Parts: sequence; C-alpha cells; structure tokens
Amino acid sequence: MSDAAGEDGRPATLALDPTDLARLASMSLRARVIVEGAFAGMHHNPHAGTSIEFAEHKEYAPGDDLRHMDWKAVARVERYYIKRFEDETEMRTFLLVDASASMGYKRSGVSKLEYASYLAAALGYLLAQQGDPAGLIVFDERTRQYLPPRTRGGHIRDLLLALEGAYAAGRTQPGRALAHVGELADRRSLIVLMTDLLDAPEGADGLGNRLRQLRSRGHDVALFHLLDPDEVELPFDELTEFAGVEPDDARRLLVDPRDLAASFARESLALRERWRLACLEAGVEYRFATTATPPAEVLRSFLFDRGRARR
Amino acid sequence: MPLHFVAPSVLLGLLAAALPWLIHRIGRRRARPVAFPAMELLLRAEREVSARRRLREVLLLLLRTLVAAALPLAFARPFAEIRSDLPAAAARSQSAVIVLDDSASLRRLAAAGGEPVFQLARARARALLESLSGDSDVALVLASEGTPAPVAEPSNDRGRVLGALDAAVCSARVADFGGALRRATQILAGSPHADRVIYVVTDLQAAGWEGAAPERAAGGPAVIILDVGGAWDNRAIVALSAEPAPEQGAEGLAVVAEIVNFSDEPAHKLGLTLRLDGADVARGFVDLPPRGRARKRFLSTLHTLMGGGTAHDAEVEIDHDLFTLDDRRRARVEVSRGLRVLVVDGDPRTVRTEDETFFLEAALRSGGAGFSITTGLPDELPATTLSGYAAVFLANVAKPSEELAEALTRYVEGGGGLFISVGDRVDVDAWNQRMKALLPQPLGLKRTAAAVPGRAPEGETVDLRPAERLAPLDRRHPLLAGFPAKGDGLASARFFQFMLMEPVPDAPGRSVVLRYENGAPALVASDVGRGRVLLLTTTVDREWTDLPIRPGFLPLMQEAARFLAGAPGSDSVSALTVGQRREIGVGAEDTRIEIVKADGQSRWLTPESRQAAARAAEAHGRRTVTFAETDEPGLYRVRASRADGTVVERASESFVVNLDPAESNPARLADDRRPDRAPAGAAAAAAPKRRLELWHFLSAAVLLAVLAESLLTLRLRRGRVKA
Repeated sequence: MSDAAGEDGRPATLALDPTDLARLASMSLRARVIVEGAFAGMHHNPHAGTSIEFAEHKEYAPGDDLRHMDWKAVARVERYYIKRFEDETEMRTFLLVDASASMGYKRSGVSKLEYASYLAAALGYLLAQQGDPAGLIVFDERTRQYLPPRTRGGHIRDLLLALEGAYAAGRTQPGRALAHVGELADRRSLIVLMTDLLDAPEGADGLGNRLRQLRSRGHDVALFHLLDPDEVELPFDELTEFAGVEPDDARRLLVDPRDLAASFARESLALRERWRLACLEAGVEYRFATTATPPAEVLRSFLFDRGRARR
Repeated sequence: MPLHFVAPSVLLGLLAAALPWLIHRIGRRRARPVAFPAMELLLRAEREVSARRRLREVLLLLLRTLVAAALPLAFARPFAEIRSDLPAAAARSQSAVIVLDDSASLRRLAAAGGEPVFQLARARARALLESLSGDSDVALVLASEGTPAPVAEPSNDRGRVLGALDAAVCSARVADFGGALRRATQILAGSPHADRVIYVVTDLQAAGWEGAAPERAAGGPAVIILDVGGAWDNRAIVALSAEPAPEQGAEGLAVVAEIVNFSDEPAHKLGLTLRLDGADVARGFVDLPPRGRARKRFLSTLHTLMGGGTAHDAEVEIDHDLFTLDDRRRARVEVSRGLRVLVVDGDPRTVRTEDETFFLEAALRSGGAGFSITTGLPDELPATTLSGYAAVFLANVAKPSEELAEALTRYVEGGGGLFISVGDRVDVDAWNQRMKALLPQPLGLKRTAAAVPGRAPEGETVDLRPAERLAPLDRRHPLLAGFPAKGDGLASARFFQFMLMEPVPDAPGRSVVLRYENGAPALVASDVGRGRVLLLTTTVDREWTDLPIRPGFLPLMQEAARFLAGAPGSDSVSALTVGQRREIGVGAEDTRIEIVKADGQSRWLTPESRQAAARAAEAHGRRTVTFAETDEPGLYRVRASRADGTVVERASESFVVNLDPAESNPARLADDRRPDRAPAGAAAAAAPKRRLELWHFLSAAVLLAVLAESLLTLRLRRGRVKA
C-alpha cells in the first residue's frame, strides 16, 4: 500500500501498488479498489476533486434525490450527504488501450498493458457508477477489440472482461486507433489513450496531428503515457543482450547497461518531454506514469486536475 | 639486435595473452538476453557513448593482454646482445685500475663545436666502470705528470669511484703513462683478485708514453687501452723568445715565435697576433708547409709600454684550431739593456785577444744582452763614480789600493755588485788584507791541476795530470737556473790552475755556486750589506782555464752580471712549462709573497712557514719560496707584502707558464709501442658484443600496465556510480 503525501494540496490517499492490485481476483475488484483509493480522503479536502460529472457533496435536505445519496459517506461519518453533479448531460468516453507487444514488457510488477487495463477498468467503473457510457478500444496496429459506449447494466462487466482478456502482441499504431475513434465518436466525447508511445510509426508530429484533429472536433482527449521503470532508468547491472520485442524488429544490442544508464535516462526524459510538448501543442492532457506508480494515485491526480480545471 | 631468453620454456606462458580476449568473448556469450521495448532509446544512448566506450574497452583489452603477455616474457629473462666498444674482460670479477688520460691534449675539441675529447674519455671510463662486475675492485689514476690518484686503492664503493671520476678535470700537464702504469701496478700488487687489469682511457698521443714499457711484465697486470682519440690536425706555437732589435732603436724588441704545422695540409696565411702586456701591437701571417715549421719575427718598441718597469709580458697567438691551448704562447721580456757594467782590466795587453778582459767583454756584449760596458784600469777606479754602475768586474787586479778597497766596500754595501776573478797578478796577501770585508773567503794558494796546453810546466817535460773540471751543477741557485740539468756548456770546461780559498765557517749570505770536482770552490757568492759579491777562483781569460771558450761562459757571465745587479734572470728562468716549480726571491722586508695565478686565483706563500726551504735557499745566497702550482698556462704575477702593510708588485719575479710543446704533437703511439699489443693473453681481446638485460624494462611495463588498467577500471566504475 502506498500512503504518499499529497502534492499541491491534494489529500494523502491510501492506494494499492500495481503488484498488490494484480493479486486481486478480478478486474472488477481492482477497478473498485482503485476508484476507492482515488476517492479516499477527498471529502476532507476543501477543494474537492471531481469525477467526470461529480462536483461536491452537500448535506441531505428534504426533497433531495435519494439516488444521489452517498451511502459510503453515511457509513463512514454517520451523516447524510448528497452528491452534486455539475453537468447532468451524458458524457461518452472512449478508452483506448494499446495492446501491442511492447506493452507486454515487464521485469517485475505488472506490464504496461496490465497497468493500462487497471486504469481503464477504474475509469470505466467510475463512469458506470455515474451512469455515463464508456467504450473500449483495444488496439495494436489495428483495432483488435471494440466495445461501444453504453450504459446498460452488463456493459461494465463486458468492458472489464475485455480488459482482463487483453494480451500484448503485434506492432503499435496509435494513430490508426485515434483515426478509428474519430470516426466512431459522432458527438463530443472524452477520449482516453493509454500507450507507451514506443516505436509509434507516426512519431510525435504525426500523432500530434491526429490528436489535434480530435480536439478540433470538440473531443476532450487525455493521453496516459505509460512506461516500465526499466524504460526510465535502465537499472540493469550485467552484460545484457537487448532485443526488440515487436514483430519484425531484428534490432539487437550487446552492451553493459551500466555504460549506457546515464545516456539512456537522458534519452528517455527527452522522449517524454517531446510527447508532453506535442500534447500541449495539441491541447491534449498529458499524463505520465510508470507501472510502479499506484494507479489510484494516477486516477486521483487525473480527476483532481480535471475538476480544478472545470472550476 | 637478436633477442635471447634465459628460460625460453616460460614463453609458453605467452598463450595466456589470449586470456583477456577469451574472457571477453565468453562474457559476451553469457550475456543475459532481454526483449526490451525501448530499443530505440537504447540505440540512441549507445550511439552517444559508443565511441568513448569502445575506445575504453579496446584500451582495457590491450592493457590486460599486455600484462598477460609481459609477465611470461619477463619471467623468461630476455636479453639482447648489442655491439659494445667495451672490453669483454670488464665482465669478469677482477681488480682494475682505470688510468684516465687527463693530459693537455685531451682539452682539444673532438669536432668543431663539439665537446672536448676529455669528456669522451670520461664518459668512456664511466661506461667501463658501470660495466665492471659488481664484485670487482676499482681504483682511479690520472695520467698527467705529477697529478695524485683520485682513488689510490682498489675500492668496491662504485659511487665513490664514480664521484671521483666526475670530479676529475683535464689538466694542462703532459702525460706520464710510465709513471701512471707503475702506480697502477703498485695499486694492483696488493689486490686479492687473481685477475688484475689496467684500463687506460687515452687518445693514444705518443707523447707521454716514453717511460712506459711496451712489454707486459711477467705476472703483471694486463693492460687494455680504450682509445678515445683519432687522427687530428694541429698547429701550435712551440717556442717564443724575445731579443733586442737594434734596428728598431734603443728600445727595439724582436719577438720570435716558432710555429709548427702537425698536419698533412699546408696552412696559408695563418694569422698571428703579438700582444705586449695584454695589448695587441702587431698582426702578421705565416705560411706553413705540411708537417713543417716556420718562424715569425715581430718587431716592436717597448718604451711606449714600459711604464718604468723592466719586465714585460709578450704573447703571440695564432688563429685557433680544435686545440686552442697551444695556439698561444707567452714570454717575459727582461729589459736589462739599461744595466751599466764597469770592467776593470788588471792585465791589459796590447794584443786584444790576449787582454785579460777580452772574453769577458765579448760575453757581456754578445747575444743582445744589452749591457752598457765601460772598461777601465785599476788606477782609474777611485776617481770613477761607482754608484752609476750596476756591477763592477775586477779581472786579475794585482793589488787593490786602500782607496779602491774603501770605494768598493762603500759601493757594495750600498747595493752594488762586485765580480772578482783572479790570475797570476793577484797579490793574495794584499787582497786578503785590504779586501777582507768584500771577499767571500780569504784567498789561499794557487793550485795547478795540470799544465796549460802548449806550455810545459816548469821543470817538467811532460805533465800527464788531467785538468780539473766542474762538479755537477746545483741549479737551485738562481744564477744557474737557466743552465741545463747536466751543465752542458760548463761541464766541458777544463781548469788548469785555480786559487784555493782559506777555510772559513759557514756564514749566512755566503754560498758556493760552482765547485771543482775536487770540492774546491770555483765560484763563491756572498751578500755584503745590500750588495752582492761573486768570486771566481780562476781567470776570465785562457791563462788558467779554457772556460772562456766554452759555450757556458757567455750565459754564466751574463747571469752573473744580472745577479750582481739584482736584475731578474733570463727568459729561460721566467718562462716555465706547466708543472715546473718556480723559485721566487724574497726580499729582506717581505713577509708574504702573493702569486696571482693565470686564472686569477691567489696563492700566498710565507717564508717563515717554509723555514727549512728558506734556510736551504739562504745557503745559496738569497731567500726564496717555491711555488709549485704552475698548473695552467698564462702569466703568474708576484706581489710582496711587507711588514709595514704595504703590498708591492714584483714584476721582476712574475713569470709565465707555457704548455709543454710535446702535448701539441698529435702523433699517435706506434702499434709496436702499445702495451696492449704485447702478448698479454686473452684479457686484451675486446668483445664485440655486450649483454643487455631486458626483463627490468618488461617488469616496469607490467607495473605501468597494471596501474593504467586499475585507473581505467576505477574511472569506469566511478562513471557508472555517477550514472
């Protein structure tokens, strides 16, 4: 469990590490735990975080809609609180999860695909809780699986099952997935892309254009840039023969990683900075996380910043 | 330069040189394979550091390979055989004496602008010393005449011998290899080593080997010569003299230099410069044939330079060659022409050649000695003012009058010089009575040793007795210092009659200058007051002796006149060669004598501190000190300190020192004179090769490589820690 102190006034939270999350039995449970971890303590924050539509709690008063009663708060503090929502209109969300071979890399903990699945599951669960339709696209160089956004009762279960069954294979091509979602999203939607952005054939410029197009069409786009800690610092300590993981990638490098660690860290940082600037330019929210970061923290930070941006 | 190994089997260990490479290859094979998504980042990072990383890897591999290869190489004890000019005998355990030639000829340059040959000789001696086996004993002897040995006993202390070798300087003396080899043999006589070798490091100039036996003595040490010389050309001034030049006037001076060309090439227009008292006064040229000699006569006038003094420094210098030491020669010029001499003829004759003073006057006038001679009769003497004369010669004066005796006594006591020669006319009683104060010894009987040739002795028909001759000369007396050691010119003189002296006790200031073979005095000197008296116990004509017609008569009379006049001796006395001793007269008031050497250094001699020498010198008529440090050519100035604290220049005692002409001759020692060509056994054979051990260098290389490898690895690790 992580109990990292909050930053920028955000509350301290209790959040499970990805490794601990992986031990949980089902994706449904993981999603719940992540969401709860993300929201734990939020009520004590004067600047309350928001979900997609969630605004704030208020004390129950006669006449309030009982459907919006926060029963957990009742159980925790023995008072009646009503959730208030700023926008009562339906928000369609597309969750795009990169399932290319590179997303399957892990040396310890969880892979980037697993991590992306956890995040997508938590978001889907949260949206379902709010009655918002959430869709899912699992892609590599093409769209491997598509679940359109729905609000019916069994949809969240299908979504979680799809995420649980996702596997890493094939080359990555997030641009094509974005193009696909651009065709599917016929009205204003939230598009959340989760990818490692490694070996994206479009490059930062090409993908930036895709993102800019989505933004120009009124879509709200967020990009979760996920990397394994090994892809940040190269913490290997013996002679290693590295090989590419994606199909047809014949690149090999025999090297003592200690000789490259510093230079690699600089290159990795430059990659992230390059994508951050590309997203900034396209008006896309950029989020970076390693698979060692508790997903609840990432989710909470995401929700908190979005809520603050709305206010 | 072929390479050899003491333990070649160890070279199998060279296979270990492949180990670093093998380990490197195996390490690559055992590398952990990792499927890694961020290959693009990895390759970019690798491109950034690849050049530096590869260089470091290659360097490390090379260093490790070098260490792995150098270790077995070092253990195999490699060595190389290089050609050496040092003798093979040097490698044996032995007692050795290094005779280093430090004679003047080694001061020449080996080549124009090069270093002196002595430096080469010393470097060669050093190389020899360093190549001698560690348990050898070594002594060091210098070959120049009269120079003490720096290391006079065999020593195992190599540092001490090296220090002495480095401290050795090249002298200006002649070489004396005979003495040096005898000294070396003596040193080796007490050596415990059976193998005894004398190494002579020399330029093999023939001069200096005269006293060395070319044959090796039975059982004596072997002699090995290390030749650092070679053929060289030389031109030298071998003699310099100064003589009056009447054609130049009263103060005219002729300086004659003799130049020798020791080269096979002629010398055209060889430049010469004459200096008088340090000032250039004339410049000339001379042509020299191959292996020939020439005389150059400079004419000059002294009066502009004299400054009131009587002794001057003349120097002639020729254009320089590689050996500059003999390109300059000096002489002292004595201005004695101002001396007035009064000759009193006691037995005048109408036939000039039969006159008593004929030979005496001729001797004083000849050779440009420059005496101003006045001849008179005994009766004219009292009226004459004696004080105007530097010396008075009384020749066979019969009976000096009271007035004459009194005048002469005043004259001598006042600083004058009196020369008395006897003859048939001398009245012994009158002389002993009236001239008692002046006679060094009372006159005695006339002794007839043999009949005068052509005249039979009275009452006898045949006289077979041999004439008397002079005993060997004692050249310590300044009057005789200019004569050859064996008395050439005087030894042949025969004395048929002479006057004996009455015995008297030894007295200070009186000395016997010449004796007959029977021990009787021939020439006696004594100090009277401030003057001097010389008494010759025979005639100055051919009445009693044939001395006047002998070659020694002329210099004897001239030196006697100078001695009596208190003038310095002739050039031959005041011009020495390097190493010769110089007797310096000490005045009555002198407390200390200072000699300023050619290089400007001063030496002080105190007569009191050399009482024994002074007493011995006094026995010959004057007080002297002996100066022995004539070790460099040049002018040696003499000053005297007096009791009252004043210091006076003694120009008349100053002298010049020249190089011995023998050192100028580049002729090399003939092969049949070389002591190392004698059948001395195997020791004389020179080894063409020398062994050079290489494992030291390899060990040092291993250490350096290990150090570099450690530093490189450390740097690598630090870089990784920072990363």
